[in-house]
Amino acid sequence: MRHVTIENIINYMDGTLDVEKTTLESHLINCGECSELKQELQVLMVQLQEDSSFEPPAELLQWGLNLFQPVMQPSVGGIRRMIASLIFDTYDQPILAGVRRVGAPPRQLLFRAGDVDVDVKIESMEANDRITLVGQVLSNAAKFFDNTPVKLESHGIVRYRTRTNVVGEFSFDEVPKDTYHLSVDLPEGQITLFCVHRGNS
Amino acid sequence: MTSKYKSRTDPELVAMCLQGDAQAWEALIMRYRRLVYSVPVRFGFTSADAADVFQAVCLKLIEHLHELKDETKVSSWLITTTTRQCIHVKSLKYRETGADEEFEEPADPGESLEDLRIMTETQQTIREAVDQLSGRCRELIEMLYFDQRSLTYEEISQKMSMPVASVGPTRARCLDKLRTLLRRRGIK
Repeated sequence: MRHVTIENIINYMDGTLDVEKTTLESHLINCGECSELKQELQVLMVQLQEDSSFEPPAELLQWGLNLFQPVMQPSVGGIRRMIASLIFDTYDQPILAGVRRVGAPPRQLLFRAGDVDVDVKIESMEANDRITLVGQVLSNAAKFFDNTPVKLESHGIVRYRTRTNVVGEFSFDEVPKDTYHLSVDLPEGQITLFCVHRGNS
Repeated sequence: MTSKYKSRTDPELVAMCLQGDAQAWEALIMRYRRLVYSVPVRFGFTSADAADVFQAVCLKLIEHLHELKDETKVSSWLITTTTRQCIHVKSLKYRETGADEEFEEPADPGESLEDLRIMTETQQTIREAVDQLSGRCRELIEMLYFDQRSLTYEEISQKMSMPVASVGPTRARCLDKLRTLLRRRGIK
Protein backbone atom coordinates (compact mmCIF):
# COMPACT_ATOMS: atom_id res chain seq x y z
CA MET A 1 0.00 0.00 0.00
CA ARG A 2 1.39 3.38 -0.97
CA HIS A 3 1.24 5.88 1.84
CA VAL A 4 -0.06 9.42 1.44
CA THR A 5 2.61 12.09 1.10
CA ILE A 6 2.99 14.71 3.82
CA GLU A 7 2.31 17.41 1.26
CA ASN A 8 -1.01 15.83 0.31
CA ILE A 9 -2.02 15.44 3.96
CA ILE A 10 -1.24 19.11 4.59
CA ASN A 11 -3.08 20.20 1.46
CA TYR A 12 -6.02 18.01 2.50
CA MET A 13 -6.13 19.73 5.91
CA ASP A 14 -5.87 23.13 4.18
CA GLY A 15 -8.64 22.22 1.74
CA THR A 16 -6.29 22.75 -1.23
CA LEU A 17 -5.82 19.12 -2.22
CA ASP A 18 -5.68 18.75 -6.00
CA VAL A 19 -5.74 14.94 -6.15
CA GLU A 20 -8.66 12.61 -5.48
CA LYS A 21 -9.96 13.55 -2.05
CA THR A 22 -12.06 10.41 -1.51
CA THR A 23 -9.10 8.13 -2.30
CA LEU A 24 -7.03 9.92 0.32
CA GLU A 25 -9.84 9.79 2.86
CA SER A 26 -10.38 6.06 2.41
CA HIS A 27 -6.62 5.52 2.71
CA LEU A 28 -6.56 7.46 5.97
CA ILE A 29 -9.38 5.28 7.32
CA ASN A 30 -7.51 2.09 6.49
CA CYS A 31 -3.95 3.16 7.23
CA GLY A 32 -3.17 3.69 10.90
CA GLU A 33 0.30 5.05 10.10
CA CYS A 34 -0.98 7.80 7.80
CA SER A 35 -3.87 8.56 10.11
CA GLU A 36 -1.43 9.04 13.01
CA LEU A 37 0.77 11.25 10.82
CA LYS A 38 -2.23 13.39 9.90
CA GLN A 39 -3.17 13.72 13.57
CA GLU A 40 0.36 14.72 14.47
CA LEU A 41 0.58 17.32 11.70
CA GLN A 42 -2.80 18.68 12.64
CA VAL A 43 -1.70 19.23 16.27
CA LEU A 44 1.55 20.81 15.10
CA MET A 45 -0.19 23.21 12.71
CA VAL A 46 -2.72 24.23 15.36
CA GLN A 47 0.12 24.86 17.82
CA LEU A 48 1.96 26.94 15.26
CA GLN A 49 -1.15 28.89 14.33
CA GLU A 50 -2.11 29.49 17.95
CA ASP A 51 1.35 30.55 19.01
CA SER A 52 0.71 33.43 21.34
CA SER A 53 4.22 34.19 22.43
CA PHE A 54 5.04 37.84 22.36
CA GLU A 55 8.24 39.51 21.29
CA PRO A 56 9.53 42.03 23.84
CA PRO A 57 10.14 45.55 22.49
CA ALA A 58 13.65 45.96 21.05
CA GLU A 59 14.78 48.49 23.68
CA LEU A 60 13.59 46.24 26.51
CA LEU A 61 15.43 43.29 25.01
CA GLN A 62 18.56 45.42 24.68
CA TRP A 63 18.21 46.38 28.33
CA GLY A 64 18.18 42.69 29.23
CA LEU A 65 21.23 42.00 27.08
CA ASN A 66 23.14 45.00 28.46
CA LEU A 67 22.43 43.94 32.01
CA PHE A 68 25.29 41.53 31.90
CA GLN A 69 27.88 43.86 30.40
CA PRO A 70 28.63 46.29 33.19
CA VAL A 71 28.70 43.69 35.93
CA MET A 72 30.34 40.64 34.45
CA GLN A 73 33.04 41.97 32.18
CA PRO A 74 36.49 40.72 33.11
CA SER A 75 38.39 42.97 35.44
CA VAL A 76 40.31 45.79 33.84
CA GLY A 77 43.53 47.25 35.17
CA GLY A 78 43.64 44.90 38.09
CA ILE A 79 40.40 46.14 39.64
CA ARG A 80 38.41 43.28 41.05
CA ARG A 81 34.68 43.48 40.42
CA MET A 82 32.33 41.76 42.79
CA ILE A 83 28.67 41.16 42.25
CA ALA A 84 26.68 41.72 45.37
CA SER A 85 23.94 39.29 46.29
CA LEU A 86 20.55 40.71 47.06
CA ILE A 87 19.82 39.68 50.65
CA PHE A 88 16.61 41.55 51.31
CA ASP A 89 14.16 43.52 49.23
CA THR A 90 10.95 45.01 50.57
CA TYR A 91 9.56 44.73 47.04
CA ASP A 92 9.50 40.98 47.54
CA GLN A 93 7.72 41.28 50.89
CA PRO A 94 3.95 41.25 51.03
CA ILE A 95 2.24 44.37 52.34
CA LEU A 96 0.49 43.67 55.63
CA ALA A 97 -3.14 42.83 55.16
CA GLY A 98 -5.34 45.85 55.63
CA VAL A 99 -2.49 48.36 55.23
CA ARG A 100 -3.31 51.04 52.72
CA ARG A 101 -1.33 54.14 51.92
CA VAL A 102 -1.16 56.94 49.44
CA GLY A 103 1.78 56.59 47.04
CA ALA A 104 4.39 53.89 46.84
CA PRO A 105 6.29 52.95 49.99
CA PRO A 106 10.09 53.39 49.91
CA ARG A 107 11.90 50.32 48.70
CA GLN A 108 14.59 48.97 51.01
CA LEU A 109 17.30 46.65 49.75
CA LEU A 110 20.27 44.99 51.37
CA PHE A 111 23.15 43.73 49.27
CA ARG A 112 26.11 41.68 50.38
CA ALA A 113 29.47 41.13 48.71
CA GLY A 114 32.03 39.30 50.79
CA ASP A 115 32.05 40.96 54.20
CA VAL A 116 30.61 44.22 52.93
CA ASP A 117 26.94 45.11 53.24
CA VAL A 118 25.29 47.88 51.28
CA ASP A 119 21.96 49.10 52.52
CA VAL A 120 19.94 51.01 49.93
CA LYS A 121 16.63 52.84 50.18
CA ILE A 122 14.83 54.07 47.10
CA GLU A 123 12.09 56.60 47.51
CA SER A 124 9.88 57.49 44.63
CA MET A 125 8.54 61.00 44.05
CA GLU A 126 5.47 60.57 41.93
CA ALA A 127 5.03 64.35 41.53
CA ASN A 128 8.19 64.85 39.47
CA ASP A 129 8.88 61.27 38.36
CA ARG A 130 12.17 61.13 40.22
CA ILE A 131 13.73 58.91 42.82
CA THR A 132 15.97 59.58 45.78
CA LEU A 133 18.43 56.87 46.56
CA VAL A 134 20.18 56.81 49.93
CA GLY A 135 22.43 54.13 51.31
CA GLN A 136 25.18 53.09 53.63
CA VAL A 137 28.24 50.91 53.06
CA LEU A 138 29.06 48.79 56.07
CA SER A 139 31.48 46.01 56.81
CA ASN A 140 31.12 43.08 59.17
CA ALA A 141 34.15 44.42 61.01
CA ALA A 142 32.04 47.42 62.02
CA LYS A 143 34.32 49.60 59.97
CA PHE A 144 32.93 52.58 58.09
CA PHE A 145 33.92 53.17 54.50
CA ASP A 146 34.29 56.92 54.44
CA ASN A 147 35.12 59.03 51.40
CA THR A 148 34.46 56.02 49.16
CA PRO A 149 33.41 56.75 45.55
CA VAL A 150 29.88 55.65 44.68
CA LYS A 151 28.59 55.76 41.11
CA LEU A 152 25.19 55.46 39.56
CA GLU A 153 25.33 54.05 36.03
CA SER A 154 22.57 53.66 33.51
CA HIS A 155 22.77 52.30 29.97
CA GLY A 156 26.49 51.70 30.46
CA ILE A 157 27.30 55.34 31.31
CA VAL A 158 28.15 56.82 34.71
CA ARG A 159 25.36 59.31 35.33
CA TYR A 160 26.02 60.44 38.89
CA ARG A 161 28.93 60.28 41.29
CA THR A 162 29.20 60.91 44.98
CA ARG A 163 31.29 59.86 47.98
CA THR A 164 30.36 58.34 51.29
CA ASN A 165 30.47 60.48 54.43
CA VAL A 166 32.31 59.57 57.63
CA VAL A 167 29.79 56.89 58.53
CA GLY A 168 29.69 55.39 55.04
CA GLU A 169 26.43 57.02 53.99
CA PHE A 170 25.74 58.29 50.49
CA SER A 171 22.81 59.85 48.71
CA PHE A 172 21.59 60.60 45.20
CA ASP A 173 18.79 63.11 45.44
CA GLU A 174 15.95 63.32 42.99
CA VAL A 175 17.53 61.57 40.02
CA PRO A 176 15.25 60.73 37.09
CA LYS A 177 13.56 57.32 37.31
CA ASP A 178 15.60 54.82 35.36
CA THR A 179 17.36 51.50 35.69
CA TYR A 180 20.66 51.96 37.46
CA HIS A 181 23.67 49.97 38.46
CA LEU A 182 25.15 51.23 41.68
CA SER A 183 28.88 50.72 42.05
CA VAL A 184 30.94 51.17 45.18
CA ASP A 185 34.71 51.47 44.70
CA LEU A 186 36.34 49.85 47.68
CA PRO A 187 40.08 49.32 48.10
CA GLU A 188 39.56 45.56 47.68
CA GLY A 189 37.47 45.85 44.55
CA GLN A 190 34.41 47.37 43.02
CA ILE A 191 31.00 46.19 44.13
CA THR A 192 28.21 46.40 41.62
CA LEU A 193 24.61 46.30 42.72
CA PHE A 194 21.48 46.02 40.67
CA CYS A 195 19.06 48.77 41.38
CA VAL A 196 16.11 48.98 39.18
CA HIS A 197 12.99 51.00 39.21
CA ARG A 198 10.41 48.24 39.49
CA GLY A 199 7.15 50.06 39.15
CA ASN A 200 6.69 51.00 42.77
CA SER A 201 10.20 51.95 43.79
CA MET B 1 25.52 35.68 18.52
CA THR B 2 27.20 32.72 16.86
CA SER B 3 25.55 29.33 16.26
CA LYS B 4 28.09 27.92 18.71
CA TYR B 5 26.06 29.54 21.47
CA LYS B 6 22.65 28.76 20.01
CA SER B 7 23.30 25.04 20.15
CA ARG B 8 24.50 25.09 23.75
CA THR B 9 22.35 23.55 26.45
CA ASP B 10 21.03 25.67 29.29
CA PRO B 11 23.51 24.33 31.89
CA GLU B 12 26.38 25.02 29.47
CA LEU B 13 25.20 28.60 28.90
CA VAL B 14 24.74 29.18 32.63
CA ALA B 15 28.25 27.87 33.32
CA MET B 16 29.67 30.14 30.60
CA CYS B 17 27.78 33.12 32.03
CA LEU B 18 29.26 32.44 35.43
CA GLN B 19 32.69 32.61 33.83
CA GLY B 20 31.84 36.08 32.53
CA ASP B 21 30.91 35.17 28.95
CA ALA B 22 28.56 37.93 27.78
CA GLN B 23 27.66 36.04 24.59
CA ALA B 24 26.34 33.16 26.66
CA TRP B 25 24.13 35.62 28.52
CA GLU B 26 22.93 36.98 25.20
CA ALA B 27 22.11 33.45 24.03
CA LEU B 28 20.18 32.75 27.22
CA ILE B 29 18.16 35.97 26.99
CA MET B 30 17.50 35.48 23.26
CA ARG B 31 16.33 31.90 23.93
CA TYR B 32 13.87 32.91 26.64
CA ARG B 33 12.93 36.49 25.74
CA ARG B 34 9.48 35.57 24.40
CA LEU B 35 8.74 33.20 27.27
CA VAL B 36 9.48 35.86 29.91
CA TYR B 37 7.62 38.62 28.09
CA SER B 38 4.61 36.51 27.11
CA VAL B 39 3.62 35.51 30.65
CA PRO B 40 2.77 39.07 31.86
CA VAL B 41 1.08 39.79 28.53
CA ARG B 42 -1.15 36.73 29.07
CA PHE B 43 -1.87 38.01 32.55
CA GLY B 44 -3.34 41.05 30.84
CA PHE B 45 -0.61 43.46 31.97
CA THR B 46 -0.02 46.77 30.21
CA SER B 47 3.19 46.99 28.18
CA ALA B 48 4.77 49.11 30.96
CA ASP B 49 3.95 46.49 33.61
CA ALA B 50 5.03 43.67 31.31
CA ALA B 51 8.35 45.50 30.83
CA ASP B 52 8.74 45.84 34.61
CA VAL B 53 8.17 42.10 35.01
CA PHE B 54 10.65 41.35 32.21
CA GLN B 55 13.30 43.52 33.89
CA ALA B 56 12.66 42.05 37.32
CA VAL B 57 12.95 38.49 35.98
CA CYS B 58 16.17 39.31 34.09
CA LEU B 59 17.58 40.67 37.32
CA LYS B 60 16.49 37.61 39.26
CA LEU B 61 18.03 35.41 36.60
CA ILE B 62 21.40 37.12 36.87
CA GLU B 63 21.19 37.09 40.65
CA HIS B 64 20.36 33.38 40.76
CA LEU B 65 22.61 32.12 37.97
CA HIS B 66 24.85 30.25 40.39
CA GLU B 67 21.82 28.28 41.65
CA LEU B 68 20.82 27.32 38.10
CA LYS B 69 24.03 25.70 36.92
CA ASP B 70 22.61 22.22 37.50
CA GLU B 71 19.15 22.95 36.07
CA THR B 72 18.52 20.99 32.88
CA LYS B 73 15.88 23.45 31.76
CA VAL B 74 16.05 27.07 32.81
CA SER B 75 12.57 27.44 31.27
CA SER B 76 10.78 25.82 34.23
CA TRP B 77 12.54 28.14 36.66
CA LEU B 78 11.76 31.12 34.46
CA ILE B 79 8.08 30.25 34.10
CA THR B 80 7.70 29.85 37.86
CA THR B 81 9.65 33.04 38.62
CA THR B 82 7.80 35.08 35.99
CA THR B 83 4.39 33.82 37.12
CA ARG B 84 5.22 34.62 40.76
CA GLN B 85 6.42 38.07 39.75
CA CYS B 86 3.15 38.69 37.87
CA ILE B 87 1.06 37.60 40.84
CA HIS B 88 3.21 39.76 43.11
CA VAL B 89 2.84 42.86 40.91
CA LYS B 90 -0.88 42.26 40.58
CA SER B 91 -1.42 41.95 44.33
CA LEU B 92 0.75 45.03 45.00
CA LYS B 93 -1.27 47.07 42.55
CA TYR B 94 -4.51 45.88 44.06
CA ARG B 95 -3.36 46.73 47.57
CA GLU B 96 -1.89 50.08 46.61
CA THR B 97 -4.95 51.30 44.80
CA GLY B 98 -7.31 49.70 47.30
CA ALA B 99 -9.67 48.99 44.46
CA ASP B 100 -13.06 47.75 45.51
CA GLU B 101 -13.14 44.92 43.05
CA GLU B 102 -11.65 41.64 44.17
CA PHE B 103 -8.11 40.78 43.17
CA GLU B 104 -8.56 38.79 40.01
CA GLU B 105 -7.75 35.26 41.03
CA PRO B 106 -8.64 32.69 38.40
CA ALA B 107 -11.58 30.48 39.40
CA ASP B 108 -9.18 27.61 39.90
CA PRO B 109 -5.75 29.22 40.23
CA GLY B 110 -3.91 25.90 40.37
CA GLU B 111 -5.44 24.66 37.16
CA SER B 112 -5.16 27.93 35.27
CA LEU B 113 -1.56 28.52 36.24
CA GLU B 114 -0.77 24.92 35.32
CA ASP B 115 -2.43 25.45 31.93
CA LEU B 116 -0.37 28.59 31.49
CA ARG B 117 2.81 26.73 32.42
CA ILE B 118 2.12 23.88 29.99
CA MET B 119 1.22 26.24 27.16
CA THR B 120 4.25 28.46 27.76
CA GLU B 121 6.58 25.47 27.94
CA THR B 122 5.14 23.89 24.77
CA GLN B 123 5.43 27.14 22.83
CA GLN B 124 8.98 27.60 24.05
CA THR B 125 9.85 24.07 22.87
CA ILE B 126 8.28 24.72 19.46
CA ARG B 127 10.13 28.03 19.08
CA GLU B 128 13.39 26.34 20.05
CA ALA B 129 12.76 23.57 17.50
CA VAL B 130 11.99 26.19 14.82
CA ASP B 131 15.27 27.91 15.71
CA GLN B 132 17.02 24.59 15.12
CA LEU B 133 15.72 24.31 11.55
CA SER B 134 18.01 25.24 8.70
CA GLY B 135 17.95 28.92 7.67
CA ARG B 136 15.52 28.58 4.78
CA CYS B 137 13.09 26.31 6.60
CA ARG B 138 13.15 28.51 9.68
CA GLU B 139 12.49 31.58 7.56
CA LEU B 140 9.56 29.94 5.81
CA ILE B 141 7.91 28.62 9.00
CA GLU B 142 8.32 32.01 10.68
CA MET B 143 6.75 33.77 7.70
CA LEU B 144 3.88 31.31 7.51
CA TYR B 145 2.99 31.07 11.19
CA PHE B 146 4.64 33.78 13.28
CA ASP B 147 4.49 36.80 11.01
CA GLN B 148 1.69 39.13 12.08
CA ARG B 149 1.23 40.37 8.50
CA SER B 150 -0.38 37.11 7.26
CA LEU B 151 1.76 36.92 4.13
CA THR B 152 0.37 35.26 1.01
CA TYR B 153 2.25 32.52 -0.91
CA GLU B 154 3.04 35.14 -3.58
CA GLU B 155 4.60 37.50 -1.05
CA ILE B 156 6.54 34.66 0.56
CA SER B 157 7.79 33.47 -2.82
CA GLN B 158 9.08 36.97 -3.56
CA LYS B 159 10.73 37.38 -0.18
CA MET B 160 12.37 33.97 -0.38
CA SER B 161 13.14 34.16 -4.11
CA MET B 162 11.43 30.85 -4.85
CA PRO B 163 8.64 29.99 -7.30
CA VAL B 164 5.13 30.16 -5.83
CA ALA B 165 4.63 26.50 -6.74
CA SER B 166 7.57 25.54 -4.51
CA VAL B 167 6.18 27.15 -1.35
CA GLY B 168 3.71 24.33 -0.64
CA PRO B 169 6.14 21.40 -1.08
CA THR B 170 8.86 23.26 0.85
CA ARG B 171 6.41 23.92 3.67
CA ALA B 172 5.56 20.19 3.80
CA ARG B 173 9.24 19.26 4.01
CA CYS B 174 9.92 21.88 6.68
CA LEU B 175 6.92 20.87 8.78
CA ASP B 176 8.09 17.27 8.57
CA LYS B 177 11.56 18.29 9.79
CA LEU B 178 9.96 20.28 12.59
CA ARG B 179 7.77 17.32 13.53
CA THR B 180 10.86 15.10 13.75
CA LEU B 181 12.69 17.64 15.93
CA LEU B 182 9.70 17.93 18.25
CA ARG B 183 9.38 14.14 18.50
CA ARG B 184 12.97 14.05 19.72
CA ARG B 185 12.00 16.58 22.38
CA GLY B 186 9.07 14.43 23.44
CA ILE B 187 6.32 16.50 21.80
CA LYS B 188 3.92 14.75 19.46
